[in-house]
Amino acid sequence: MNEHAQGSRNSCSTGWARDEVERLLARVTRPGRYTGGEFNLRLKPGASPRIVLSYPDVYEIGISNPALQILYAHLNDATPAAAERAYCPWPDMAALMRTHDVPLWTLETMAPVAGCDLWGFTLPHELTYTNVLEMLDLAGIPLHAAERGEGHPIVLGGGPAVADPWPLAPFFEAFFIGEVEHRLDAIVEALAAPSRAQRLQALAAVPGMWLPGVSERPAQRQVFTAFSSTPPVLRPVVPVLEAVHDRAIVEVMRGCTAGCRFCQAGVWYRPVRERPVDMVVEAAEQLLSETGCDEVSLLSLSSCDYSGIEEALTRIRALRPGVRVSLPSLRIDSAAESLGRFAADQRGSVTLAPEAGTQELRDAINKGVDEAQFEEAVRATFMGGFTGLKLYFMVGLPGETDADVAGIARLAGTAARLAKDIARGRARLTVAVSSYVPKAHTPFQLEPFAGEAALRHRQQLLRAAMPRGVRVNFHDVAASLVEATLARGGPGSHRLVEEAWRRGARFDGWTEHFRFSLWEDAAAATGVELGTADLDSAGTLPWESAVAAGVSRSFLSEESARGARGELTGDCRDGVCAACGVCGAGVEMDVLP
Amino acid sequence: MTWWLLTFSRGGPAAYLSHLDTARAVQRTFARAGVPIALSQGMRPKPRLSLPLPLPVGAAGCEELAVVEVPDDQPGTAAALRELRAAAPPGLTLLAIVVVGDQHPRPQALEARYACLLEGDAGAVRAAVERYATEVSVVRERVSPKGRRTLDLKDYVVHAAAEPAPGGTRLSFTIRRRDDGAARPQELIDLIATWAGVEPVMRGLERRSVIWRDLPPGPSPGAGRSVST
Repeated sequence: MNEHAQGSRNSCSTGWARDEVERLLARVTRPGRYTGGEFNLRLKPGASPRIVLSYPDVYEIGISNPALQILYAHLNDATPAAAERAYCPWPDMAALMRTHDVPLWTLETMAPVAGCDLWGFTLPHELTYTNVLEMLDLAGIPLHAAERGEGHPIVLGGGPAVADPWPLAPFFEAFFIGEVEHRLDAIVEALAAPSRAQRLQALAAVPGMWLPGVSERPAQRQVFTAFSSTPPVLRPVVPVLEAVHDRAIVEVMRGCTAGCRFCQAGVWYRPVRERPVDMVVEAAEQLLSETGCDEVSLLSLSSCDYSGIEEALTRIRALRPGVRVSLPSLRIDSAAESLGRFAADQRGSVTLAPEAGTQELRDAINKGVDEAQFEEAVRATFMGGFTGLKLYFMVGLPGETDADVAGIARLAGTAARLAKDIARGRARLTVAVSSYVPKAHTPFQLEPFAGEAALRHRQQLLRAAMPRGVRVNFHDVAASLVEATLARGGPGSHRLVEEAWRRGARFDGWTEHFRFSLWEDAAAATGVELGTADLDSAGTLPWESAVAAGVSRSFLSEESARGARGELTGDCRDGVCAACGVCGAGVEMDVLP
Repeated sequence: MTWWLLTFSRGGPAAYLSHLDTARAVQRTFARAGVPIALSQGMRPKPRLSLPLPLPVGAAGCEELAVVEVPDDQPGTAAALRELRAAAPPGLTLLAIVVVGDQHPRPQALEARYACLLEGDAGAVRAAVERYATEVSVVRERVSPKGRRTLDLKDYVVHAAAEPAPGGTRLSFTIRRRDDGAARPQELIDLIATWAGVEPVMRGLERRSVIWRDLPPGPSPGAGRSVST
């Protein structure tokens, strides 16, 4: 036996974090959430203005958000600003921060967030709203914009949830409506003004900006028309801590015009714009090197509809041996063909979203797939060697009956039979059932939320009708009730959010943290009836006073009427314009020839 | 196949990574640097990389080891080390690579020296450390997902000392590994803090050195490396 003693240096810990932060890190779960240290992290000491970007959820979720990566890369690499990040501390850390009076810090410099010039939030959905208040409070910044002064940062909201900004309006100085890439330089410039009032004035002049209580007209949703000619993020921050997604992302296309009548994203990201295949392949090659990933995800709302999908797949696979290419969404009507292409390199599971159980209801929501296509897609899944199939459905859709719910069980039964016949018991079949929540700026924006009783009844029906051996996951009805209340909230709806947060609501999108009783108590205290929306269909809808999404009200009404009649509306990519109102004034569909 | 013994330090933000995350960070550094790691066989091939002595979450490590299997046709280690250093994340510093013969046994840790700063009454901390030295047996219960087990810290923590330091007391100690495992640094820190009546919160925990069995000869990555047989 020989023994070697490695020599020691005096010390390798560098006094890197402030003492008070280091004390907290020693006492929480997953302290790496709060320390940064990722690959491709940017540090710009002394740069000005200092901007903090936040995603109001825990680090592992937030670091996987592509929008924040776009903002971070552009601000740091193409403007004089220094962009840093902060995510929502997990409850154990939040409790310690309060006990020890340590304000929220950024991952880049460990400096307090409160000292920045602008704090930008990407707002993904309603169940993160209490986390926004939690982060403001942990940063030591007054919750209400009206109480902030010269020394406080300007708090700016963006992302898909600002389609209706009212539930958060008093907590933000401003909201940016739509895609911000081409307005970032103007935002940075606005921050150079000498006083807070002047900075706000300059921000108000940036197209797409809506300032609650200041803006006199709704902000026009901004469309990044140079999307197709602008490369995606090529040097993203890569986490060292395990995150929800671990793959290189190339956004190949923005927008979807399939026209599903329940879908807010389908409206929010119109029109369709595609990146050239050469740009996609070059980006994939650079990203594989920059990230060290062995998987590239071709991101969009419906990647199978990307015109260059076949060529892009072939060329990316040829870049290096073993590289996998994944598509986050498959359309059922083309899934069999798509699965044929992917079977060679995909393992694991496939997700298909029929959304509704019967043809009538699928036509009403403009989903338009039939049972033969569904069966073909399921067959292709199992023939292709995939070992898992997940089916997505919704209950509570407008016009839904018990027969539609029984249809979900019937489709699941078909899938279960094919799994047994083809995969011979080796495949897992999961059915995920969410509750439909009507959203602003969609054809169904005026439809009532199905309500707690109806949703629970349908979940029960479905549970009883579901074939044996099929695993069914239901979305929490109570969480949907909260989501439905906030998704179409008007002026004053912020009181519910604030009251729920004051009573302890946090991480409402997490089953283990969501406490409905807090929301019930908050609703009672603020006089809100959960699940309802006070809408005047003849007048201006609350969100229309803040946001002009570009899609005309008449188009949405016509689509709603067509849905009630069970009529399908074609995809405008196929040549028939449905006159939604988005195109014009320099905004056009931009697809590959 | 060829084995590389990679020496690295972990500090700064990287000190707060778990063992698995540290291994992932090293692996990701190789991928970013374009230095291939050999893959295991089977349906889901995994990179053949291991860190033989896990570091606790929150601890810096001055000279840690990674054992990496690489394809035979690798270019020289000097070029690889350059690329790896450029590709590493903040807090992970790659110090040296030693090429190891395939027949050479893998290194095994025998004992490790740690240090940390304990805040609070310095005299009480020193008294607790002196008490530890005089105790014959200090039995502690460890609860983990695998169940409960008792261990006598005296079988593992073979040396502990306290000295004044700015902001508190520098606690240094040596943990010996046995066939049945080792004590965790936090177990000794908790014990000393409890006996001293101070909060069991440490700062700047670091593993300063490790004594290995079967460490192959090679260039010394750090100052003062000694060899004994």
